[in-house]
Amino acid sequence: MLTVNALRAWGANVDEALVRCLNNENFYVMLVGKAIKDPQFEKLKEACEAGDLEQGFEAAHSLKGMMANLALTPILQPVEKITELLRARTETDYAPLVEEILEQRRRLAEQL
Amino acid sequence: MTEPAMMKGIPGTRDEGRKRLVLIVEDDFVNREILKANLEAEYEILCAGAGDVALKMIVEHSETLSLVLLDLNLPGMKGLDLLREIKKDMDLSRIPVIVLTSDTESEVDSLLSGASDFIPKPYPRQEIVLARIRRSIELSENRDLIRWTERDHLTGLYNREYFYRYVDQYDTWHPDEGTDAVVLDVSRFHVINERFGKAYGDEILRRIGAELYAIVHEKGGIACRREADTFQVYCPHMTDYASLAERVTAAACQEAAGRVRIRIGVCTCADKASDTERRFDRAKSAADSIRNSYTESVAIYNDDLRRKEMHAGRLMDDFQNALAQKQFIVYYQPKYRVQSPEPVLGGAEALVRWKHPELGMVSPGDFIPLFERTGLIRELDNYVWREAGAQIRRWKDQFGISIPVSVNVSRIDMLDPELTETLCGVVKENGLEFSDLHLEITESAYTEDSERIIQVVSGLRKLGFRIEMDDFGSGYSSLNMIIKLPFDLLKLDMGFIRYAFSPEGDTGILAIMMQIARYLSVPMIAEGVETEEQMLKLKELGCDIVQGYYFSRPVPAEEFEKFIKTGGNEAC
Repeated sequence: MLTVNALRAWGANVDEALVRCLNNENFYVMLVGKAIKDPQFEKLKEACEAGDLEQGFEAAHSLKGMMANLALTPILQPVEKITELLRARTETDYAPLVEEILEQRRRLAEQL
Repeated sequence: MTEPAMMKGIPGTRDEGRKRLVLIVEDDFVNREILKANLEAEYEILCAGAGDVALKMIVEHSETLSLVLLDLNLPGMKGLDLLREIKKDMDLSRIPVIVLTSDTESEVDSLLSGASDFIPKPYPRQEIVLARIRRSIELSENRDLIRWTERDHLTGLYNREYFYRYVDQYDTWHPDEGTDAVVLDVSRFHVINERFGKAYGDEILRRIGAELYAIVHEKGGIACRREADTFQVYCPHMTDYASLAERVTAAACQEAAGRVRIRIGVCTCADKASDTERRFDRAKSAADSIRNSYTESVAIYNDDLRRKEMHAGRLMDDFQNALAQKQFIVYYQPKYRVQSPEPVLGGAEALVRWKHPELGMVSPGDFIPLFERTGLIRELDNYVWREAGAQIRRWKDQFGISIPVSVNVSRIDMLDPELTETLCGVVKENGLEFSDLHLEITESAYTEDSERIIQVVSGLRKLGFRIEMDDFGSGYSSLNMIIKLPFDLLKLDMGFIRYAFSPEGDTGILAIMMQIARYLSVPMIAEGVETEEQMLKLKELGCDIVQGYYFSRPVPAEEFEKFIKTGGNEAC
């Protein structure tokens, strides 16, 4: 079961996120549970694999807002990087960053 | 905007204590839920996950919505597009929008597109979010209160007083920009109100207001409702006002093309040194100059119009003196009965001329419409009635016969509560019969305030005055209505004669008009008859009385006497 302590151990900035969630731990944990199942992760992966940088940017941008609000730092950091690259429509290999994002998500999902 | 929307939730009003309504437009569940949790103790919350859904909700709740929190990254319609939609709509634009964004770049775009503020992602702590929301709502509500006093409540545009203040402000900040003062009028708006009702008329005005709002939103400038069906726009100089007229006309009435006609007067590149109101008065003069034209929709104020205005001003100034010094001279144009083997003098029409000591003979076309517009026509009509009454008396004394004289009774005379008394006074003072004085009342006067006019005219007719319906066929009366109107003679509008005898015209229409007169059992008078051919044709068609240059132009009373001596006499 996902707990605040587990999130903290994983690397989330729990204190910052809890301020936003009115110090309601259950609410925060519930939102994290929803966030890691968000379809934008799959959209990001598919768009990057297909070279659709516009769709990739939409998905990354969306994830960035969510991860930032929940202070899920280990995912937020690579998401911020990929968002800026995609915003500039940079032609590069996105696979390593996508993999890092999905790996952090897998690690977090294991806590569930 | 309606009063409930303006007053919603303002402290001290009936809504005090009720939660204000806030719409969160955000497709991400997590962000939406966090925001909702932060706000729901203080606000009633609505949520939308897509731009098009949000727009529908905003329209549906436009009266009660206090704020929109808008994510820019939405599926389908983007947040910035939604923001622009809201801001270009006059009713929705009052609702403040706070943009939710994680990009500093988007903040500028958002503010330029009309956002009140922005809240960054990740969201700051609750106190900051609430403070920003409260401030935006408070500013918007204060602005709403100001708007309530500065706006015209029907159209939502500025009212005239505030408009002029905003124009002055605009000039202060755009001193070198070429600007136009524009006046838009709806032609014959009173007829629209009369035919379709006031609610429909108001709807037309609202549509015009909304279109003008959209136009100044696009092109820059300020718009107001000047009064009734007149609007004003102050905007950067434009060259194509015909397109503007077309656009506003199309927006005003989609359901029946041609029902609404907009005319535009423009004072271009207005001289900013001249008084603001004067610039718009000039634009109004330009618009008025095409009041009776069905082909022109735009008039630009120019030197010619300025000269005409100066001339009109001079005539107005000189009017009282002219009355006192009897510069107005009544001329008489004979009317002949033509159904007898030889034409027989049947009466005369009194027509006023102005012999100005400095300007010479002033054309009635210059001063009659002017005095009709300004109300001076009432005094002039009174003068003509008195002069004509005295002349009928003189002819009675001199020749021992009655020459009935018809005089014009203008629309404005009909509103004079002393009209009947004044006319009776003319009859009594000169010892005349009521039937000696014919009253010409233009057909369109009947359609403006029909019940009142019918009542007044019926009263005059009962007394014994003979009523001639002038300009018959040029008004808007239905045949059904004509039957109910009180009159003794029909006077055919001159346009019919002109058309019937023009190269492309035919006299069939005249025959129909004669049949109408016969059906109503009243004599028909044709005026403006200039040739023998016209006279003979009218005679053949059964016209009873003919007036026009064929017999004589209008002449002074002394000259008219020759017709009395030679023309027989059979009062019509």
